[in-house]
Amino acid sequence: MHNLMANISVTSRLAFATPPYLDDSTIWHHMSDALHQSMYRVLTLLIAVLPGILAFFVALTIFTLCGMLISWLLRRCLSWIKFDLRLARLSGDAWVPSSPPTEIVARASFWICVLFGLIIGVSAFDASYATGTALPISLLPYVTHAVGAVFILIAGVVIARFLARSVLIGAVNAQLQYARFLSLGVKWLVMVLTAAMVLDHLEIGGNIVELAFGILFGGIVLTLALAVGLGSRDLVSRSLESHVDRTGERSPLPHGVPPPAEQIRHF
Amino acid sequence: MTTENSTSAETATIDLTTADLLVVGSAIPPEEFEAVLANLAEAFPDENVVIAAQQQPAANAHANLRIIEASQSSATWMLKPADFVNAFEIAREQQARAILMLGPGAHSLKPQALRELANAVFSGSIDLAVPRYTLPPHSGLINSAILYPLTRALFATRTRFPLTIDLGLSIRMAERLATVGKRFAAANQDDALLWPVNEAAVAAFQVDEVEVGTRDVPQPSDPDINAILQLVTGSLFAEIESKATFWQRPRRLPAPRLQLDETLLSDGTADVPRMVEAFRLANSNLQEIWCLVLPPNSLLALKRISALDAGMFRMPENLWARIIFDFVVAYRLRTINRGHLLGALIPLYLAWVAGHLNVTASGMPSERHIEAVAAAFEADKSYLVARWRWPDRFNS
Repeated sequence: MHNLMANISVTSRLAFATPPYLDDSTIWHHMSDALHQSMYRVLTLLIAVLPGILAFFVALTIFTLCGMLISWLLRRCLSWIKFDLRLARLSGDAWVPSSPPTEIVARASFWICVLFGLIIGVSAFDASYATGTALPISLLPYVTHAVGAVFILIAGVVIARFLARSVLIGAVNAQLQYARFLSLGVKWLVMVLTAAMVLDHLEIGGNIVELAFGILFGGIVLTLALAVGLGSRDLVSRSLESHVDRTGERSPLPHGVPPPAEQIRHF
Repeated sequence: MTTENSTSAETATIDLTTADLLVVGSAIPPEEFEAVLANLAEAFPDENVVIAAQQQPAANAHANLRIIEASQSSATWMLKPADFVNAFEIAREQQARAILMLGPGAHSLKPQALRELANAVFSGSIDLAVPRYTLPPHSGLINSAILYPLTRALFATRTRFPLTIDLGLSIRMAERLATVGKRFAAANQDDALLWPVNEAAVAAFQVDEVEVGTRDVPQPSDPDINAILQLVTGSLFAEIESKATFWQRPRRLPAPRLQLDETLLSDGTADVPRMVEAFRLANSNLQEIWCLVLPPNSLLALKRISALDAGMFRMPENLWARIIFDFVVAYRLRTINRGHLLGALIPLYLAWVAGHLNVTASGMPSERHIEAVAAAFEADKSYLVARWRWPDRFNS
């Protein structure tokens, strides 16, 4: 009874000494709860996804090893039956690859196995992820978007380089003085388009990206149009002259004009 | 009496089913066909000649010529693979001893030239008779710069015009070309160019060159240098790639049989500065592409010659040979896109043309300079073989 009375008196003293909203133990209790719940959610997610990741790596490793084994076996067997020689006799000069056919078959078998391992690994990962979809997480779908964006970026860079080279060679052979500038313009045009597509795919920026892309793209096109329009007057006149030459509509040379240079026939 | 009649009847039958010579070509316009017939009648007065043509003349005034109907390609430039397939099939039907293939513009060939071409294959020792034309000044420059030197260095043949315009063929040569032609047709490459001289070299058939004088050399429908160079050199580079096992072995070049034409053909008024300017522009813009294909010492040499005055401009023969060899290797390795590669070759070819025109304007006969270029290709063949086998190394 004495103890009970002492407890009540301590509690009432504390209650009067500190206001209720400054109760440290309650705040710490709430924070600790929130942290525990968050950690629990992440750990649950990891536990749900970890078997899938492990399955992915195990499938990939097993199939890579299988691929290596099959490739080695094929290489030995094909060398033993002199596959290269037989194929060369069969096809004559029609097909001459830069690598020996045995090597091509062995490499192809290895990569087919790796691809198969990847497919099986991804499907295993997908199955294990499906069990954890109830968890509130948006990271994994974003990763797949990121992979898609990387592919878009690679394709964009390759296309930009191809087009830039095509334009550069074509412009140099047309003897345009600003060939490099034109090539650079085309390259950046494609790069800007690629960047906009990548950002759009990643859902970053929203309207700002669209607006910026429109301004940049339009600016580059306008610059190129001005450069070509102002710089290729000579080219257009040369082209028209050669057309007139071909159709035989050229007027006779006026008096005093030197005769044309010797004609060159490349073929 | 009965015996005499039967013998003459047999002879008449043989005349209708066999032929001494089969003449096949691309589609000839009607106005040129009469001229071709007249030339053939004059060239072969005593032989039984069968002509495979699409059109029949209104009246055949030449008793020794028999015209049979056959399909012909509509080639306006060089003979197509289908022409060789048709030629062999008709020759087998007609049991012909030899075949004379005539390209577009054959009416400009003189009867003597036709006779010489056919005589070479009639002799039995020659499988492929290739004409040697007398061209106007500054003509056939792609052939002089690339096709002839490369063919000579790699396939050990002195054929000055290794093209499919006019040819005399033995039956076994025709059979081989028809086999290759069928392969092209199967691969849906009807517009591919055939290289009979290379085929003959690989098959160890005898090739001979015949002087035929002047001729209207057919020109490609698209006169653009970019298109011509890409088509012709691309086709030859592909041919070199497919016959790599053959040309990598060393072979002895036969001794020259025909006299070198030493006449001066240039009056020195060709437009050299424009070509040099095109090369300089490329030298300042295409470095990023050339450096993927050419070794550093070739790039340095190109930089040096780009500083030369247009009148003094020269492309050294050994530099030109190495450039072409490096492009052949890059074509095989697909270092860059093949269209880009052949496009990047055009300014270098123009530089060679400018140098060649300057050399001929300085008093050197054109043919002698071309022979010097071909000799440089031969001398540097080991460079191509080394780079073909170990392409990662740039040999200095």
